Order: sequence, then structure tokens, then C-alpha cells
Amino acid sequence: MSLNRPLGQCIRHTRHERLLHVPYRTFATTTEPPSTPEASPPPTPPSSDATPTHRYNPNLVHTPRMEKKLLAAQNQYPIGSRRRRAALATSTNIPFSQLPYQCFQEARKVLRHDRTEKVKEIEGMRQRITRLEARAGEGVESEAERKQREHRLRGMRKRLDDWKILADVNDPLVKKKFEDGMGDMNKPIYRHLSDLQWRSYKRRVLMQRITQMNVVPDVLQSIDPTYSTEIRFSDFHKVPHGEFVHSLFSEKPPVLTIQPYNQGERLVTISIVNPDVPNVGRDAFDYRCHFLACNVKVSPTNTTIDLAKLDPETQILQEWLPPHVQKGLPYQRHAIFTLEQDPATLNTVSASSAGTLDLSAMKTHEPKWAERDNFILRSFVDKLRLKPVGVDLFRAKFDDGTSEVMQRAGVMGGDVEFRRKRVEPLPYQRLKGSRFR
Amino acid sequence: MALSHLHRSPRVPSIAALSALESALSSFRISPQADLPSNRRHASHQAQGRANGPKDTAGKRLGSKKADGQYVVPGNILFKQRGTLWYPGDGCFMGRDHTIHAAVPGYVKFYRDPIPHPKRKFIGVVFERANVLPQPHNAVRRRRLGMLAYQMPATTASTTGDLSTFTPSSPLPQSDDAAVVATIIREQPQEERLTKTIKTKRDGRWVETTLTRRPGYQWRTANWEIGMAAERSRAAQSVKAFKPGDRFAAWRKRNARIARNAEMRAMKRGGKKQGGGKGKK
Repeated sequence: MSLNRPLGQCIRHTRHERLLHVPYRTFATTTEPPSTPEASPPPTPPSSDATPTHRYNPNLVHTPRMEKKLLAAQNQYPIGSRRRRAALATSTNIPFSQLPYQCFQEARKVLRHDRTEKVKEIEGMRQRITRLEARAGEGVESEAERKQREHRLRGMRKRLDDWKILADVNDPLVKKKFEDGMGDMNKPIYRHLSDLQWRSYKRRVLMQRITQMNVVPDVLQSIDPTYSTEIRFSDFHKVPHGEFVHSLFSEKPPVLTIQPYNQGERLVTISIVNPDVPNVGRDAFDYRCHFLACNVKVSPTNTTIDLAKLDPETQILQEWLPPHVQKGLPYQRHAIFTLEQDPATLNTVSASSAGTLDLSAMKTHEPKWAERDNFILRSFVDKLRLKPVGVDLFRAKFDDGTSEVMQRAGVMGGDVEFRRKRVEPLPYQRLKGSRFR
Repeated sequence: MALSHLHRSPRVPSIAALSALESALSSFRISPQADLPSNRRHASHQAQGRANGPKDTAGKRLGSKKADGQYVVPGNILFKQRGTLWYPGDGCFMGRDHTIHAAVPGYVKFYRDPIPHPKRKFIGVVFERANVLPQPHNAVRRRRLGMLAYQMPATTASTTGDLSTFTPSSPLPQSDDAAVVATIIREQPQEERLTKTIKTKRDGRWVETTLTRRPGYQWRTANWEIGMAAERSRAAQSVKAFKPGDRFAAWRKRNARIARNAEMRAMKRGGKKQGGGKGKK
């Protein structure tokens, strides 16, 4: 990659080789290496990492064709987003402070000034909140006054969170870091941006699948997901919402990625419920719980949960049961629900610490939650005062691996086939007379 | 023509001259002046042919075929219509010409569901006569399994059409004996009963042919299989599959074509040298 490319070259058109030969004006500053700490240097600068043994640079490859070649020749995956790689390959990576555009620099000044104002506001709001909180213990306070104070505090905290996001939301560096996937989820701005990104498309797809496949009235009455969920079987097989999963893939428990977008660590309960279990005697469908685990710690940075590696003593109520759909049956939905445990109200189940469910006590006093068949998630959520925050879905149908999976899991009925029950036709009504013959 | 002959110098006659000529010649005109508004009114409505006459076509027998509360079985026609006067509700589906059919056995209900669709009318089928539609939107849907469980035969190869080898699933704990008695299940699946596989010798090798039972008990190869014959032929097998993006193959093909064309051109010229004045380019 040549270093003497025009600075503002359109990234979309980099594949036009003729662009390289267009005469342009260079600045003296363009050749300087990035020295200021303001712009974080790329992990591997384009000039240094092109070793002769490796023909394709995973940091700079930015066309689909070259990406394929990189994978084929060096067995490497490209690093970062394609936008980032294209930018690294085609620009000189000058820090923002040294870019020779006057208007850009003026805009940065405006943004910097705006940010200092916002930071001042945040400081002021923090002090006001602490003052109002400190007033709680002073003197006698009526119920109405207490409620009013709490209402005010809620509003102030909300405004404080808004200021925190507004302080950084226009920063070009923040935008760049977020798009490169380098955002720190401990910071409110990156949580806000990733939440926006999730809600813009993926959550809509999820809600469509959940409503179209009737998970919402069949398993729970309603849900407003605020956590995003992702399923992976066998570490690499990522499952889109509502996709069919082959029974051999789903024999081992999946790895979930549960991403909350609000601050702090919390405990969640994860349940996987199948509402399509056939019941021939009743001529209806039953529920079955395929997995149930409580007290799973989740935070914006701690998101990956391997269901196989949870603690059987303190976390798992029901072990993983592989999905199995007998021959002839329609597909079965497996809904994954993330339920937030309430730290305040869970002491009723003899909790050892705030918000933690005591599983051994539950197993002795409430044995029905440890039973798979007829597991009603609605009553489970109501009894334990859980809050549904995340949902995901995958489907299973009969395939060539089902019977062996059932055999290995010790489930009876691998040799059972379901067939449609014949509905007697209505009796043919003979018309009067022979005029219709 | 005469005018331009008289006034020789300007090529185009002046407007004044033209209007003078017009007024002079107006008394000799037979047809009325073109730009005058005429008193004739043209028809805006078709008066002849089939336009207004026949309205006595055969009735299309549209409308309701089942009343509210009537028992129906899957496939029964509940309503025939042009367009969607009624929409299919629970336990119903809409056919190709907007006809509403029953999808489950039960009792017909005509209802409205104002929360999602304030303007629509629905036809639904419920399992119990007393059930009410629409259901509450956060309630679990009423569904029936409508299936029975059977023991699969141990090996599929030994399956025959014999009734004695097939036993409905009495040992299964889930099965309902009453339900089994009440229903008649065909002893063999439809596709097994209606297909046969025979072996014939063709081109010195044995070929398996699947025969399907056509109307009138004639066993013959299905039309779709006949249609596939060209693709299964040896000639078709010898053709290499087209691989998109295989540039090397494309380059070879292109070069072969160019060489072939050059050869053809050379043959047409009959060995003559190119570059003569007469030759086509």
C-alpha cells in the first residue's frame, strides 16, 4: 500500500486503480506518523506488518475477494470491520488533531466546548443528587414528602444518565471506536450505541419471529426484551432467531451470549421451554422444560454463558435435555427466556444473599420446578417474581439423528411414529328427488 | 402556389396577405371552417355491442355455506366470496380464490377481532361448541394434536402391505385406545401404496424404474420422471457443471471459440488472403 494516497479518497471507490494516478496536492503533515495520544494508533500500522512470508495483511485486506484469499492462503480471518480495514489501507492514518481541514478543526473545537459544558452539568447533577439523598435521614418526613423526594431523585438520575450519553455522543473518536468494535461496554455511551444498533434491526427481527411463531401468547403472555440473546451450538454454529437446528448439533447444551445494556452486575434465570410436546391422551400439546438454571451472573461485559459449565449445585435446576421431535410431528419451538431476579423481593425463598435463589431449598419445598413435564413458565415467573428481559427461539424437527440422540439421552420413544388421526367426513346428504341427477 | 408566384421577393407570405386571401375565398368554401366550435357531441358511453345489454350471467353461488355453530370437518368450505369480505380466523384458512375453509374439526363461529383489525370480519372454528372467539390476546392458543402414536416397524425393509404385521400401538403408554378404535388408519402410507419399483435392462445394464399408479390402474413412469430423463442421460452427465467464477474455464472456452471462429472465417474465404478490396469486413 502506497503511503502517498490522497487523504480524502472515497473509500467505496478504492478498487478503481485509475484513482491512484490522479494528480493531487499533498501536505507536509501527511507523511508524519501519528504521535499524539488523541488518536489511538492502529494495532498494526500498515507499513510495518507486511512481512514477506505473509502475502495478505489481515489488517488491510478489505475486498471480499482478498478476504477469501487471505483465508485460503494463510488460514487467517480479517481483523476488525471492513470499513476500518479499508480506511487503514487507503488513508495515512493522521490523528484528528493534525488533519489539515480548517472546518473540521473548528467543528472539533465546538464539540470540545460542548463536552466541557456537559461534564460541568454532570458534576452539578451528581452533587445535587448526593445532597438530596443525604436529606433522607434528617428530621421527620411524611409519606408524601418521601414519595416526592424519591420521584425527584428518579428524574434526576434519569437526567444524569442522559447527560452522560449526550457528552460523548457526537465525538468522532467514540464513533470510530464503536464501529471498530473497540467500545468499552462499561461506559454508558458504548452501551447506548450498541443498544441503538440492536434495536435498529436485530430486535425487530426477533420480535417478528416471537410473534409470528406465537411464542408470546403460548409460553408467556407478553415480553419487552431489553437484553439481546445469541445462541451458539458447538461453539461455532450461530443460530438465527427461530432457525431449525439439527438434532445432532443440539445434543450438547448451547453457549448463550446474553447482553444487557444497562449498568451493573445482576443475577438471571435462564429457562428453555418447549410448548409443543404431544399428548395423545389429551389430544393436545404440553410444555416441557429442557433447561433451567438460576443465579447466573450477567453484566454488560460478562455476557458469555456456557450452559454446560454452570454449577450443578448452586445454579442448575434442570440439566440440558436435547431437543427431540419424534417422526411425523410438526416442528417444536424451543423458547429461551432470560428472567431477571429481583434482589429486593426474593428473600421469601430463603435466600442466602440478596437476590440469590436457594436451589436446595427449592428442590425440597417446591419440587415441581425441578420437573420437566408440564413446566408452566407463567406460574414460575409469577411465583419467584422474575422479570422477563430477554428471549430467543430455535426450532427442532425430526431428522436422521433424532433416534440416536434420544437413545443416548435415555429418552424413551425413539421408535415411535406419529400419524394424522382420521377425521370422519360428514355424511353425504342426499338431495330430495332425482332432479339433481 | 399562386400567391408565392405573385409576391416573389419574400419566401413566406405575410399574415396580412393570407387573411385577405382567406376572406376572399371564404364564399367558395364547401366545408365548414376547421377552428370553429362544432355543435356535434361525441358519444362518451358505448351504445352498441355487449356494453349495456346482458346482465343475466349465471349466478356464482357465492356466500355462506355453513351457519354459525354448525359442525365442520377439515377442508369444508365455509364461505365463498370475491375478495376478502371475510377473513380466516382461528382454525380456518383461505384458499386461492379467497374461499374460507375449515382447517380443524369443530364448530363455526363468525366474529370480529377489533384490537388488531377493527374493520375485519372473521370466520373461525372452535373445538367445543361453548368456546368463544376471539380468544384473549395474551391467552394460550387452543390447539389439538390430531395425531396418534404408532410403533415404528423394526426394519423398514421388511415392511409389506400385510395388515397382520401392522399393529396400532397398544404397548405405548401415551396412546388412547378409544381414539385408536374410532379411527381407521391406512396400513401403508399413500406414497408406498401408489408406487412400484421395477428393474429393467437397458443398454446392457440394470436400471431401476419407479412406476406410479395413474387413474385407471395403469402403472407407468410419472410425467415428472419422464421430464427428468434428459438430465439423467449419458450426454447430460458428460457435460461439466457450470461453476460461476471459474475464470480459467471461461478463458479456455473463450479462446476455443475465437480459434473456431477464425477457422470458420478462413474456410469461408476459401484459402484466399484477407485484405482484398471486395471482402466484407
